[in-house]
Amino acid sequence: MRPLPAALALALVLPGLARANLVYVLNSADASISVVDSISREEVRRIPVLREVHHLILTPDRRELMVGDSGGNELLFLDPATAEVTRRERFSNPYHMEHSPDGRYLVVTSLRRDQVDIYEAGSHTLLARLKVPDKPSHLAFSPDSRFVYVTLQGARRLMAIDLAERKPAWSVEVGSQPAGVIWNNGRLLVGVMGSDYVAVVNPAEARLERTVFVGRGAHTIFPGPDGRALYVTSRVDSRITVLDPLTLEPKARWDIPGGPDCIAFDPEGRLWVTLRWIAKIAVVDTATGQAETIPVGRSPHGIFVQPRREAMAPAPTAGLPAPRPTTAATEPEDLQTEAAAQPVRAIQAAPVPVPAAVTPHPASHPPAEAGSFWRQWLRR
Amino acid sequence: MDAFTTAWAGLTGWIFETLVQPAFYALGLMDWAEDAYDWLDFGLYGLLTIAIVYLVCRPLEAWRPVEPVADRRAIRTDMVYTFLARLGVLPLLAFVLLASLQTRWEGWLTEEGLLPPTLEEIFPPLRAAPLLAFLVYVVVLDFGEYWRHRAQHGLRWWWALHAIHHAQRQMTFWTDDRNHILDDVLAALWFGGIALLIGVPPGQFPFILLVLRLAESMSHANVRLSYGRLGERLVVSPRFHRLHHGELSAGAAGKNYAVLLPVWDWIFGTADWNRDAYPRTGAPGTEEAMATGGWVRQQWAGFRRVALALAGRG
Repeated sequence: MRPLPAALALALVLPGLARANLVYVLNSADASISVVDSISREEVRRIPVLREVHHLILTPDRRELMVGDSGGNELLFLDPATAEVTRRERFSNPYHMEHSPDGRYLVVTSLRRDQVDIYEAGSHTLLARLKVPDKPSHLAFSPDSRFVYVTLQGARRLMAIDLAERKPAWSVEVGSQPAGVIWNNGRLLVGVMGSDYVAVVNPAEARLERTVFVGRGAHTIFPGPDGRALYVTSRVDSRITVLDPLTLEPKARWDIPGGPDCIAFDPEGRLWVTLRWIAKIAVVDTATGQAETIPVGRSPHGIFVQPRREAMAPAPTAGLPAPRPTTAATEPEDLQTEAAAQPVRAIQAAPVPVPAAVTPHPASHPPAEAGSFWRQWLRR
Repeated sequence: MDAFTTAWAGLTGWIFETLVQPAFYALGLMDWAEDAYDWLDFGLYGLLTIAIVYLVCRPLEAWRPVEPVADRRAIRTDMVYTFLARLGVLPLLAFVLLASLQTRWEGWLTEEGLLPPTLEEIFPPLRAAPLLAFLVYVVVLDFGEYWRHRAQHGLRWWWALHAIHHAQRQMTFWTDDRNHILDDVLAALWFGGIALLIGVPPGQFPFILLVLRLAESMSHANVRLSYGRLGERLVVSPRFHRLHHGELSAGAAGKNYAVLLPVWDWIFGTADWNRDAYPRTGAPGTEEAMATGGWVRQQWAGFRRVALALAGRG
C-alpha cells in the first residue's frame, strides 16, 4: 500500500487523529458541482446547476458557500459541511466575485457583458453597475477596501475602481489578456494569460513596475495559507510556479499537465488544483511537487476545500447526513487563503525545482451513486 | 462508460493542449481559449456521431433499401455537407454571431433591470431533474423547428434555398445536412432566437444528443422502415420523412414537416400516416444543378434562386 492511501485509511479507522475534507469543484462545461471526498479521493455527489458555474466564495459570516452560475444568472448557496443547497438567488451574470475586506461590498465581474457590479454585501442591493472595456475577468481589493482592481481581458489593462466614488480611478496596460489579480505587499500581481509573466503593478503610482517570468499562459496567483509562498498557474505551459512573496523570485516549478487553473488549500497544506482541459483535479504535495489526479466533470474551474472530521456518505438520492459541526471558527478569509488547521509544511523544504509526476489515482472511478450504468453515462 | 468518458476527456485535453491552445497563444487569442475548448469537443463529438450514425444506418440501408443506389456522386455531395456541418465550420460562424448577439441581448436586459429567464425557473421541479429539463427543451426547440420548416416551404424565397435539400433524388442518411449555407445561417438564428428566449442548457447530454442526431439521420435513410402504428406517432421514421421528400410534396404542398416529433403534424393537420407509401424523392421544377451539382454549384444555384425570388422573378 502506498504511504498516502495508507495514511488516509488509518485516518478512517482513527477518526479524530486526522481531518478529512470535502472538496467542491465547479464543472463549468457540465452545469454541475462535483463534491469530492478527500479521504476516498472519489466524487461522492454531483449537484446540478442551471448553466455555467465558475467561481465560489464564502458568505461574509462564513457559514455558506456562494457559487456563481454566470450563464444561469443565479447565486447558489451551499452548506459547505453537508453539500446541501440551502437557497438560490436571481443574480446578474456572476462570474468572478469577492467581498471587500471591510465586509461592506460584494463586487462581481460579468465577463461576457462588460459590466462590473458593486453590491451592498449584506443585502445584495446593487449600488453601481459600471460599463467597462472588453471582458472584465478577475478582481482584487486594496486592504483598506478603498479600491477594487479589475483585469480587462480584452483590453490588456488593469483598472482601479474607487469604491467610494464608484467610478474608475485609473487603468494601466499590463499585457495581452490579463486574468487573475491579487494584492501582495503593497503591489498588485496580475497573471498575463496571453504572455508568460506576472505583471507587478504599483497602485500608488498606477504604474507597471516589472514583470516576473512564470511560463506561457500565466493565469492566476494564489497566496499559500502560511504566507510563505505564492502559487502561479500557467495554462499553456501547464505548470505551477512557486514564488517568494517578498522577492517574487521563483522557488520551484511543477509541471502539471491538463491546464491548471484555480487552487485551494487543505489543512495539510496540499494544493487542490482544477485541471481545465482534462476533466480532473490534481492534489499536489508542496514538499515534492508530486501530484495525483481525480476525475471530475468537464472544464473544472473554481474549487473549495471544506475541512470535516468524517467521511462523506456516498448517498446522493438518500437523505443527506445530518449537519455536523463545521470548523467555521477557524475558516479562512477566502478560498484561496484557507487558514491551515494544522501546521503547514514550510515551502522552504522544497527550494529546488522538482518535476511533478502526475499519476492517475488508482480509485478514480466515480462512485456507484447514479444507480445504474446509463444514468452514470447521462450524468455527464 | 466511465472508461469511455475518461478516455474522451483525455483525448480532447491532449489535442487541445498539444495543438489548439499553443496556436491560440501564438495568435494572441487566449481569451477565446475556453470557447475553443468547447468547440473542439463539439467537433470531435461530431466526428463520433458521424461514425455511429454510419454504423447504424448503413447496414439498414443495405438490408431493406427503398430504391437502388444509382447515383453515388450525389451521395458523396451529401457527405461533404455532413462533414462541413458536423465538424463545426458552418456552426462556428453561427456560434460567433450568436454569442455576440446573446451578450448584447443579455447586457441590454440587465441594463433594463431584467434577467433572462430559464425554463427551470418557470417550472422549478425541473431543477432537480436535469434529464427531464433537457427533454422539455428538446420538445420546445423541436416545436420551433416544425414552424421553421413550415416557413421554409411556405415562403417563396425560403423555398428557393430549401429546395436544395429536397432536390436530392438519391436520398440517404447523409442527406440530413444537405442545406444551403444561407439556410443554415437562418436556421441557427431561428434556433438561437428561441434559445435566447428560454435559455438553453449546455451540451452536457452527449448521449441524448447522439440519439437525436441518429433519429434525424435515420429519417432520411434509404430504408423501407416504418415504426408501426404507435411508433409512427412518437418519432419521425424513414417512412414518415420520405413522404415529406416525395416529388408531390415539394414546396407549399408539403406534408410531414416534423423534424423529430410527428405530434406537431398531427396537431396542425399536416400529417400523412399512409404507412405503405415510399414515393420517389426530388423537387420537380428546380434546376438540375441543385439535384446533381457539386457543393459549390448547388450553393451558387441557391444564391441565384433566392435573389430571383426576392426580386419577384423566381
